[in-house]
Amino acid sequence: MTLLRLQEIFKDFSGLQVLFGISLDVTEGERHAIIGPNGAGKSTLFNLITGLYKPSSGNIFFSDKDITGWPVHRIARTGISRSFQVINIFPEMTLFENVRNAIVSKVNRRFNWGSLLNRSEDIQEESDRIIELIGLTDVRDSPVSELSYGKQRQLELALTLARDPVLIMLDEPTAGLDSEETRAFVQLIKQVTEKKTLVVVEHDMDVVFDLADRITVINYGKVLATGSPDEIRENEEVKEAYLGGK
Amino acid sequence: MMSYRAFQTGWGGLVALFLLFLPMIVPEMKIHLATEILIFALFGISFNLLLGYTGLLPFGYAALFGVGAYAAALMFNHLPGTPLVVTLLIAALAGLLTAIFIGSFCVRLRGTYFALLTLAFQMFLYTVAMKWRDVTNGDDGMGVIRPEIDLPGFGNLSLMNINNLYYVTLLIVVLGILAAYLFLKTPLGNAVICMRENDERASFLGYNVFLTKLTVFSFAGFLAGAAGGLFVLFQEFVSTTTIDVHMSFTIVLMVIIGGKDRFLGPVIGATFFLLFQDWISDVTVYWWLFMGLFFIVVVLYLEGGLISLLNLDRVWLWVNRQEK
Repeated sequence: MTLLRLQEIFKDFSGLQVLFGISLDVTEGERHAIIGPNGAGKSTLFNLITGLYKPSSGNIFFSDKDITGWPVHRIARTGISRSFQVINIFPEMTLFENVRNAIVSKVNRRFNWGSLLNRSEDIQEESDRIIELIGLTDVRDSPVSELSYGKQRQLELALTLARDPVLIMLDEPTAGLDSEETRAFVQLIKQVTEKKTLVVVEHDMDVVFDLADRITVINYGKVLATGSPDEIRENEEVKEAYLGGK
Repeated sequence: MMSYRAFQTGWGGLVALFLLFLPMIVPEMKIHLATEILIFALFGISFNLLLGYTGLLPFGYAALFGVGAYAAALMFNHLPGTPLVVTLLIAALAGLLTAIFIGSFCVRLRGTYFALLTLAFQMFLYTVAMKWRDVTNGDDGMGVIRPEIDLPGFGNLSLMNINNLYYVTLLIVVLGILAAYLFLKTPLGNAVICMRENDERASFLGYNVFLTKLTVFSFAGFLAGAAGGLFVLFQEFVSTTTIDVHMSFTIVLMVIIGGKDRFLGPVIGATFFLLFQDWISDVTVYWWLFMGLFFIVVVLYLEGGLISLLNLDRVWLWVNRQEK
């Protein structure tokens, strides 16, 4: 079943055309990587799907709902969750409080003013479960600004997962990690996103071929090719535009 | 060894006793001052819900205080039989409604734009208060008569007695500050703090940024309106000074001097500001000059404000060391 469908998406920023009619299907349970050179429009595509930008034309469907033009928070609530290329967390809170912010939203108590947050045991337990899942229990009460970069990356992933989303979108999850850390982090991603639908933008080709079972290559705002990792590896056009450079 | 909790409760108890018995300790003139401090403490706490907790700095915050003040004055003058609680509630609601209106334009913006748009709305309301003489009496202002309150068991209490007014103010201010304190401990209060920390990430977690900011702005307006109502009751007079730029910047100064990062910072700020004003205006007419200098010193050398000097944790450690 198709979970996410992009239909002829165009996007321009005050005259600068970035996307030229992107169409893309993501099937439920699929691990879909989007690759392409710098400036190809990958990040723009991410921001369109998650509601930060509105497409100039074209439609986005999620579980057969037309979500084109929905505000960010509504798209998040409908089950699409994303991480960020640059660490994007709540800097003056502890790790626990960071994760708790996501859990409060998950249990739809964002607007509750009739209970005390630190007496809400269900929220605390769920937060601790996520922290344990991601393997950060030992730094649960540390202010996140004091955590190492690698641990902040893990938190970035935890915030994305905590809402128990239907579709997980990771924007360069291993950016800034060294090869050793990257390997461990990919293992973690695999483990915590098992059986979920995943869309990932990544520059590191080892990561892409390790994680993805389908790959879409974007170049100059158009889909160049889409297919299994093997098909992409053998595709002449892709080799020329992107992989060939390596 | 005493627990930290007990230590805190002990301090709280001492402060409560001090406030309760203040009229028996200090002369009447100082009770006037204490009442004013209480009112500005509530005003400052409400302001700091925005500055300290939401990360929004409104330059036109007197709009909400002033609307509450005028609402209360009009109630006192035109419906003198209304119970005081109702009048103050209407003042608070006037602040709330004004905040919903102003906020629905302003909270979409951030930083300087937010600050200046609130200032524009305040200037607009100031002009209304100035020019709509039939209702507000313009810059001549309006006198009001403090009502009597009928308290079961005590009979009629006259608020012309400053001690009675002090206790009424104390009760309302403590309730208001408690409401603000508890609000911040709820999930909604936490959502407000998320707005300060990182509103973009919050929206990607499902938080409605606009609605959350509008809600806290309105709640702050409710408390500011109540403070404005109390201020009229205290002054027995309302004029455009409750809604002018000077009032807007006074509250900014008070809160920053007191410290925006801790909940009671604005209370310390209001206390210091008004005590200092009371003392130095006897000494020199140029007292704003000294307040300005003091503000500069705080901003440059004491980022956390005066409250950062009052560190209960450190006192507690010291006490424990003495006991060993």
